[in-house]
Amino acid sequence: MKDFYLIYKNLTRKKMRLFLTTFAIFIAFLIFGAVMSLRSALNAGVEMSADNRLVVVHKTSFTNPLPYSYVNKVQAIEGVSKVTHANWFGGYFQEPANQIVTFAVDPETYMEVYSDLVVPPEQLAAWYSNQTGMLVGERMAKANGWQVGDKIPLSSNIFSRKSGGQTWEMEINGIFKGNEDKIDTSYVLMHYKYFNETQTFGGDNVGWLILNTSNADLNEQVSKAIDTEFANSNAETETSTEQAFNKAFVDQIGNIGLIIFGVVFMAFFTILIVVGNTMVLAIRERTGEIAVLKTLGFSSIRIFKMVLVESCLLAFLGGLLGIGVAYILIKGASEQMARFLPNLSLDQDVFLQALLYMLVLGLITGIAPAIRALRLNIITAFGRG
Amino acid sequence: MSSLLSQSAAVIKMNIQSLPRRLWMSLAMVFASAVVVAILLAFLAMAKGFDATMQSAGSDDVAMFMRIGSGAELNSSLSREQANLIENAPGIARDEQGPIVSPELYVIVDGVKKSSQSEANIPLRGLNERGVNMRKGFTLLEGRMFTPGTDELIVGAGILKEFEGFELGQEIRFGKYSWKVVGVFSTGGNVFESELWADAKVIQNLYNRGSSFQSLRARMESAESLPSIAEYLKGEARLTHEVQSESAYFSAQGKSLEYMAIFGWVISSVMALGALAGALNTMYTSVADRAMEIATLRAIGFSHFSAFIGTMAEAMTLAAIGSLVGSLAAFVFFDGLSASTLGGSFTQVVFSFQLTPELFINGISMALVIGFISGFFPAWRAARVPVIVAFQTAR
Amino acid sequence: MNNENLFELSNVSKRFTKGKETITIFEDLNMQIKKGDFMAIMGPSGSGKTTLLNLLGGVDQPSTGEINFDGQRIDNLNEGRLAKWRANNIGFIFQFYNLMPMLNAAKNVELPLLLTNLSSAERKAQVETALKLVGLSDRAKHMPSEMSGGQQQRVAIARAVVSDPKFLLCDEPTGDLDRQTADEILETLQLLNKEFGKTIVMVTHDPSAAKYATHTVHLNKGQFVKEEELVS
Repeated sequence: MKDFYLIYKNLTRKKMRLFLTTFAIFIAFLIFGAVMSLRSALNAGVEMSADNRLVVVHKTSFTNPLPYSYVNKVQAIEGVSKVTHANWFGGYFQEPANQIVTFAVDPETYMEVYSDLVVPPEQLAAWYSNQTGMLVGERMAKANGWQVGDKIPLSSNIFSRKSGGQTWEMEINGIFKGNEDKIDTSYVLMHYKYFNETQTFGGDNVGWLILNTSNADLNEQVSKAIDTEFANSNAETETSTEQAFNKAFVDQIGNIGLIIFGVVFMAFFTILIVVGNTMVLAIRERTGEIAVLKTLGFSSIRIFKMVLVESCLLAFLGGLLGIGVAYILIKGASEQMARFLPNLSLDQDVFLQALLYMLVLGLITGIAPAIRALRLNIITAFGRG
Repeated sequence: MSSLLSQSAAVIKMNIQSLPRRLWMSLAMVFASAVVVAILLAFLAMAKGFDATMQSAGSDDVAMFMRIGSGAELNSSLSREQANLIENAPGIARDEQGPIVSPELYVIVDGVKKSSQSEANIPLRGLNERGVNMRKGFTLLEGRMFTPGTDELIVGAGILKEFEGFELGQEIRFGKYSWKVVGVFSTGGNVFESELWADAKVIQNLYNRGSSFQSLRARMESAESLPSIAEYLKGEARLTHEVQSESAYFSAQGKSLEYMAIFGWVISSVMALGALAGALNTMYTSVADRAMEIATLRAIGFSHFSAFIGTMAEAMTLAAIGSLVGSLAAFVFFDGLSASTLGGSFTQVVFSFQLTPELFINGISMALVIGFISGFFPAWRAARVPVIVAFQTAR
Repeated sequence: MNNENLFELSNVSKRFTKGKETITIFEDLNMQIKKGDFMAIMGPSGSGKTTLLNLLGGVDQPSTGEINFDGQRIDNLNEGRLAKWRANNIGFIFQFYNLMPMLNAAKNVELPLLLTNLSSAERKAQVETALKLVGLSDRAKHMPSEMSGGQQQRVAIARAVVSDPKFLLCDEPTGDLDRQTADEILETLQLLNKEFGKTIVMVTHDPSAAKYATHTVHLNKGQFVKEEELVS
C-alpha cells in the first residue's frame, strides 16, 4: 500500500508518545497472555479428560472411601468396558511440605483405562512384577531429578505402616508420558496391594473408581445405573465424566474465572481509554495536515482508512510484544509451578484470541479519530471561509 | 523564598485552571490511577480477610495434637487409648472434671453454594461441650446447643451466609443420615464459622469410627507449656503424634491463600506500569499544551522552579484524585463482601473481604508514586522550555 | 464555453446562513480566466477573495450558478469526484507552505503522485524533475525544519507542479517571506507561467507581487471593481 510510508511517518513523529502508548498496550497484552494462560491451565484438566472415562466417588465427598467390592459390581454393569480403582496416598518426599501426588492403583487395569499414558514395554513389565515398584510421570521425574532404578522412600501424611512409621520404600521401575503434550505427568503410581496390605487403617477400601464406557453415548446411562446400584447403601456413589469431575473441583476454588476475567477486562478498558485518548489527540493535532491532504486530492475514504491502519498498527505493535514477553514468562514459570499447575503454557488458543483483541483495540481506538478525519471540512479546518 | 512560593502558587493555579482544555487526557490519567488502586485493594482485602479468618481462630494457649505428618485434621487419626495417654501430659490445664481436653472428629459433607448453585465440601466436626468451650468468642446466635447422643447439629454463621438449606429448624440429609439444625453459632467471624458441629459419639457411630478420633485439643496451663508437652510426646512410644499451638496450626493453614496477596501485588504493579505510561503521556501533552504560557511566564521573569512545581503539582493532584476514586470504588464494592474458597482439607472456608486503613495507605502510596514519576520528567521538560517559544507564532 | 478559457464562472452566488442571518459573499458573479493567464486577485479583507479562491479550487461550491473548467462543470460534482478533479488538475501553494513536518523534501513533493498509478520508479523520476525545476535537488533529503521559509515555499511549488497540473492556485504565496525571497518565488511562478504554460491565479494583498502577473483584478464586497492589464 502506497500510503504505508505516510502512516509509518505519522506513527513515529513523536517518539516519546509512540513509546508510551506502545508500552501501555504491551502491558495490557502481557497481562492478557499471562492471566489467560493461567486460566487455561486451571481448566486444562477439564479439557484433557477422555470423553468416555467416568469417575465414581463417594457421594458425600471424594475424600470418603468406597468398599473394594464395588469394583467387581461396577464391572458387571452393562456398558462398562473396563474398571480400575485408585487410592489417594497423600504422599510426600522427605518433608511434609514436599508433596508428591501419589495414587495406589491396580497396575494392569489402571493402564488399560488410562490408555493415553505411554510407557516403554520393558519398564511397564518390570513395574507390573514388582510390588514395591513405582511408575513416575515425566514431569515429576524431571522436577526431582529421578531416574529409572532410583530407590525412593515415599511417606504418607494420612496413612501409617503396620510395621511402624509412615514411609514406604519404593523403586522406580518406569517413567510414563502422555500421548499428547497437555496430559498431566506430575504424579506417581504405586501398587494398591503393597499399600493396602501394609497400612494400618484396615479394611479393603478404595478411594474412587475410574472406568471406560464402551461408547461415550452410553455415559449417562451407565452413570445412572451405577449410582442406582449403590443408592441407600452405606456408601452412596456419584458418577460423572472425568471432565465434569475435574471442573467441579476447579469450581470449588471459587469463581476464579470471574476474578481473572475481571482483572483482564479492567486492564483492557484502562488501556483503551489511555490509547483512545492519545489517538484522538494525535489526529486533532494533524487537522491542518489532513486538510492539506484533502486539498491535494486525497479522498476522505482514503484518509479514513489511513487513520484506522495507523491505530491498528499501533495495537499490533504493542500487542505482539506483550504476548511475546508473556510467552517467555509463562515458559519460565511453568517449571516453577509444575507442582500446582502442570499444564501451564501459552497456547495457540490464547494467541489467536489475543490477535483478535489487538484488532478490536485498534479499531475501537481509531474509529472516532478516523470519522473525524473523514468528515473534516477543508474550509473550516483552515479556519477561513 | 516567599517569592518562589507565590510564583509556584500562581503557576499551580494557572495549570489547574487550564485543565478543562485537556479534560479527556486528564480524566484518562485519573481513571487509570483509580483502576490500579482498586485492583490492588481488592486483592489485598481478599487476602487480609482470609488471613483474618484463619488467624483469629487459633488460641495461643490451646494445644492441638495430630498424627505426625498429617498437615490437617482430616488426615489425622487418634485412638481412644492414645487420647487417654495425651491427657496426662504435663502442662495441660485441669478443672474439677479432669484435664481440659477435647478429642474431635473431622468429616466431610456436602452443601450447595448459594453463589454457584454447585456442591462444595463442608466440615462436620464431632466434639463435646468441653470442645465448644475451648473456642474463644463462641456464642449462640439463634436456637440452642445440640443434645448429646442425638442427630442434632449446630451451624456456623459463615455456612448460613454462603450455603443453602442450613437455616434453623431445617432437616438435612448427608448420605443415608439426616440431621436437624437446632442452633446457629458464631465464633467472632473466623474459620470455625465455616463448620457444622455435632456430638462426637454420634459421628463415631454413623461413620464407623469405633472409638477413634482424629485430633485432640487441650487447654494448656500457659502458652509456655508447649515444649514440655512436646517432650512428653517424644518420650511416649505408643504415641505417633505431634503438638503445636492452635494459632500455629491455623497460621500454617492460612498460607494457602498467601498466593492471593502476591498475585494482587504483581498484577497491580504491572498495571501500574501501564497506568504510568498513560500518565506520562498525559503530562507530556500537558506541558506541550502549555508551552506558550510557560514561556511567557518565563519571559516575564518567573523561575524555572515554578514551572517545575506547577507540573509536578498537576500530576500529583490527578493521581491523588484517582486514588481516592479507586479507594472509594474498592470500599463500596468490596468491603465486607463475603466469599468462600477452598481451604486446607478441601473444604470451603467462608471469609469476608476486609479493607483496613493500612490497605488504603498502600493504595494511595502506589498512586502517589505513579503521580510523582509521571510528573517528574515532564516537569523537568517544563522547567527547560526556552523563553523564545513565547515569541513564536503558531503554525 | 469559450475554448480559450480555462475557467468560466457564470452567475455565481455564494451565501452563508448563520442562524437567522444570511450573509451574501457573491451575487451574480461572472468571470473568465484565459488559458496561460497569470492572474492576480487583490482586495481588502472581507472582499470575498478567499471564498473565490475556494470556489476555483473546488474546495467549496457555489449556492447558485455554474463553474466551468475546461469544458467541464465542477459545481455539481460530489466530494469524491472533486477530490479526484483536484488531484488531476490543480496545484496548490499556501501562505504557510503547509509541508508535512515529518517528511523530507522529496517525500513531500511525492505526495500528489500517490494519487496516481505511477510506479515507484516513475514517481521518483518526476520528483527529481520537480525539485530540479525549483533548484533544490541537493536538499531532497532535508526536513522542512532544516530549511528557510523561501526554500520551504519552493518545495511547496515543486509539490504543486510534480503531477503537471494545468492550473496553479496560490494563496498569498509570499505573505510570510522577506522582499528578496519573495521576488525569487514570484520569478519561479512567472517561469512556470511563461515557459511551461501553466495558468496561475494568485491571491495577494501585495501590489509588488501583483506586478509579476499578466493580469490583475480587484475585488471589493464581492464585486470586481476595476481591471488592469499590465503588459510586462
